[in-house]
Amino acid sequence: MRILFVEDDARTADYVKRGLTEAGHVADVIADGRDALVHGMAERFDVMVVDRMLPGLDGLSLVKAFRASGNTTPVLFLTAVGGVDDRVDGLEAGGDDYLVKPFAFSELLARLNALARRPPPTTEKTKLQVADLEIDLIRHSCRRGTMAIDLLPREFALLTYLMQNENRVLTRTMLLERVWDFHFDPQTSVVETHISRLRAKIDKPFAKPLLHTIRSTGYSLHA
Amino acid sequence: MLRSLYRSTAIRLIAPLGLAFLVFLLLAGFAAYLLIQGELDGRMRQQLEQTFAVITQSYAESDLTDLTELVRSHAAANPRDQRVFFLRDGNGLKLAGNIDQAPGGTGWSVVPGAALGLDADDSYQIYSGSAADTELTVGASFEESDAVGAIVRNILGLAGLAFTVLVVIAGLLIAVRGQRRINGIASTMDRVGRGELASRIPLRANHDDLDDLSVQINQALDRLASLVEGMRQVSVDIAHDLKTPLNRLSFTVQNAIDDDEAGKPIAGLLQQAQEESRQINTTFNALLRIAQIESGARRARFKPIAIEPVLETLFDAYEEVAREQEQELVFNAAPLPHIIGDRDLLTQMFANLIENAIRHCPRGTRITLASVVEPDKAFSITVSDTGPGIPAAERDRVFQRLYRLDKSRSTPGHGLGLSLVKAIADLHGASIDIGDNNPGLRIAVRFVAQLAMSAAP
Repeated sequence: MRILFVEDDARTADYVKRGLTEAGHVADVIADGRDALVHGMAERFDVMVVDRMLPGLDGLSLVKAFRASGNTTPVLFLTAVGGVDDRVDGLEAGGDDYLVKPFAFSELLARLNALARRPPPTTEKTKLQVADLEIDLIRHSCRRGTMAIDLLPREFALLTYLMQNENRVLTRTMLLERVWDFHFDPQTSVVETHISRLRAKIDKPFAKPLLHTIRSTGYSLHA
Repeated sequence: MLRSLYRSTAIRLIAPLGLAFLVFLLLAGFAAYLLIQGELDGRMRQQLEQTFAVITQSYAESDLTDLTELVRSHAAANPRDQRVFFLRDGNGLKLAGNIDQAPGGTGWSVVPGAALGLDADDSYQIYSGSAADTELTVGASFEESDAVGAIVRNILGLAGLAFTVLVVIAGLLIAVRGQRRINGIASTMDRVGRGELASRIPLRANHDDLDDLSVQINQALDRLASLVEGMRQVSVDIAHDLKTPLNRLSFTVQNAIDDDEAGKPIAGLLQQAQEESRQINTTFNALLRIAQIESGARRARFKPIAIEPVLETLFDAYEEVAREQEQELVFNAAPLPHIIGDRDLLTQMFANLIENAIRHCPRGTRITLASVVEPDKAFSITVSDTGPGIPAAERDRVFQRLYRLDKSRSTPGHGLGLSLVKAIADLHGASIDIGDNNPGLRIAVRFVAQLAMSAAP
């Protein structure tokens, strides 16, 4: 996937570019906001990563300019400006996701993957399937093979998010934000506890596990 | 001192006021003087006219001898520097009188003493007229009305002088007094500016405007001092509480370097270092967040929110977490009014309280999340447990940043949870009460009725 990475800190840029290249992506690194605007208009990218504080043109204005020109490329803000208000400003300016420095590279990669392949909202399916696991979003039902599985509402929400992102890694923070609307770092194992309860229902009675833990990163659902 | 007095507000107010009053007093005095003078002159003319009439009438009834006698007796009865009488015949020869010459003519005139053969310094008012073939002149010195005028002038002068002295003394007294107090305020502010934050403006118990101002300044200083103390405390706490993990991180990295040189695998140590730096970051973020919340900027994003779904989500999220620790989380819900607030922050506040209970209580503890509506429409949300509790003496201190009970130092956590809770509660105008659950701890976040009412849809 082709990524435009707008970042003026050379060390961060190097570190991220190296990681993205290793993960099989192509990243164009640009340090100046105005150059990024020109470059982003001229070429097509799958996703853009934008720092908030940039020389030339700040990140917020850059994204607003992109959006005003009809550019719909998903944007992730990657920045040290991390208050909830700043986050809201970023999303209101047209950003699709927000990651606060310092960050774990695995978190960035997981979010970029989710962003780049986020299906357009109109094509939202009402039934999802991963291997022999099926959920019906309208009837709120879940089955694996021939066996019906009873899920609590929150477990259902958790499973839906995982199934919508089949094969992708979802980090602990992404799950907290999406499933519980928690925008803070819990000091207890909320996510782990619920994953293990979900796992007990959808995996334990069956031979082949579908819900996988990706060490020090998050979780992924795949066959 | 003189210079500062001259610049003092009291003097600047009193000086023009006193001057204006003095000018007014002198003008009024002068007017009164003129009036009195005029009145005295008028009365004297009346007297002279009467005297003239009486003398000339006596002549009509009798002969010249009587007239001459009458003038002579009048002249003898009055000293000539007060009253003058002069009678002469048609040839201008003196018949009687206490002066030796008089200017001729008829009617009123004012003449100097020299014209009457008297002391040149005085002036006289005379009335002359004819009685048959003689001419009579009666007159009076201005000395009398001049004396009265002098008395009036003296009284005026004395009053003006006394007034001036009084104003100057009063002005100086007020100015010195005010200046002393202003100097007191100034020197207090100066001391505060130089870092003596405990300095306060001395008060007088008379509740005047300067006293009110001083009270307000002192209150502002109290708040300032507590803020500065808070910041100082944080710096000390950060230095203290981040030093340890930073040292630990440094050791871990050093170990990794040593192991790497010795050819041992270092992935484990690097992971440990990563976890340690993550913890340091978490602590920093919590500190920044508290500072941000305490600044009150987030109030701009307040909107009416239903608090029950927040509590339900929290119960849902933590029930299983508690069960894994072999604890029990119970939720006693009561219907609650909407409140104006920040949903994310309130979620975090209650999450912190629940997590504190889960982390600091042993197995078998029962943790209760409950909402209680009071008759006056205020309501509390309580998190209570049956765990070890907090000693009464330490309850106030748990809200200090980075404060941790000694026995909880070994459990994970950055010691900022409750300061964050306090900051969020303060932002929402809610109060926090730490009490005894007999046994265990009971923390109640109480939202006041006013806020609840105004937010009701």
